[in-house]
Amino acid sequence: MAGAAEALTEVLGDGWADGYRTAELERPLMAAVRRCIVRWGLRKTTLDDIAREAGVGRATVYRAFPGGKERLADAVLCHEVVRLFEQCDTALAAARTLDELVVTGVSAALAVMTEDDVVRSILAHEPELVLPRFAFHQLDRFLDVAAALCRPHLSRFLPAEGVRPAADLLARLVLSFGFRPPDWFDATDPAAVHHLVHTYALPAIKPTEVTPS
Amino acid sequence: MSATRTTGAGGSTRQRIVEAAYACMARDGIGRLTVEGVTREAGVARATVYRTFPGGRDELIDAAVAWAVGEFFIGLASDIGAVDGIAPLLERGLMAGRRRLARHDVLQHALQVEADAVVPALAPVMPKVLDQLRARLADRLRHERLRPGVDPAEAADVLARLALSLIGTPGCWDLDDPTAVHRLVHQHLLAGILADPGQ
Repeated sequence: MAGAAEALTEVLGDGWADGYRTAELERPLMAAVRRCIVRWGLRKTTLDDIAREAGVGRATVYRAFPGGKERLADAVLCHEVVRLFEQCDTALAAARTLDELVVTGVSAALAVMTEDDVVRSILAHEPELVLPRFAFHQLDRFLDVAAALCRPHLSRFLPAEGVRPAADLLARLVLSFGFRPPDWFDATDPAAVHHLVHTYALPAIKPTEVTPS
Repeated sequence: MSATRTTGAGGSTRQRIVEAAYACMARDGIGRLTVEGVTREAGVARATVYRTFPGGRDELIDAAVAWAVGEFFIGLASDIGAVDGIAPLLERGLMAGRRRLARHDVLQHALQVEADAVVPALAPVMPKVLDQLRARLADRLRHERLRPGVDPAEAADVLARLALSLIGTPGCWDLDDPTAVHRLVHQHLLAGILADPGQ
């Protein structure tokens, strides 16, 4: 998925960039990181735990996380985002209409937020470690990432100037409904996701029809 | 937001302590707030603070943040004033909310020096804010002509979530530009909700 990697490299800085590089280069390590987080939580996981779990030397882990434990949350977040787009890249590329594309993308993103072991465990027990990444000025970085990853897909159906606004609104909806679903919305029910997308998301991102003069 | 206030017996002592806690937070940051500091600031006995806030430091922080958020939205409601219709309400709310947030010295300072402490401190109170905003928007939507299939409560929920997100982080939208905000509200936010969202 070279397109996503390039798009990400373009927009990422500091924490996200480190995290992304780590997630890309150290996939076997990330599997161990995931297991450690589910078992002990993000805060209590040490780099030594990861080395033991992955069956590699401490030096390897310390090299992979030069920012130390502090950068673990960023690495995990990037890993999940990249994994999400990899997993649904084929389905997104196969979508024949904007409706199909958005339903596929939103369903996959909500599934990660509500069903993935690691994400669920962090959100349930240590939300304070990740939520700041999704609010105020830190959310800008994530919106940039989401736009970069969505752009190649949305561009197939939307005019160039409509892509960024669409990615922006979709990312906000997914984050809000994933983090704190209301009682009228069940993220694991395809009919509910379909309803959310068709009734509320799609009309908000489709270009307004302009009457030809 | 009256829901975050305590009224009745002991209300004024509680209020004095809450405002003292906020003053400490504004001055020293959330991370350095102590019960001792708040006691000094409020000029009450230590026992009074612990009796009013048995949860100690954490409860004080929650109460002070809830109070400050309440003040923010009371101020915002007065900035918006009386408006007729959901579209002008959203337009004015987004612009005034952004302006008020940008000028909120305490929050802006906190976001610079202890960003990772701000969001968790806001987390307990934001669902209540969302509830109130949702209720207000749903009231408005009941007076509007909606597109077939749109439920006013659901639509209000979607709009409230997006509005709060946009005020906190404008992203690609220029919330200081009335023309851009008009476009955002009519062509995007309300496009699927009103039978005739306008241009």
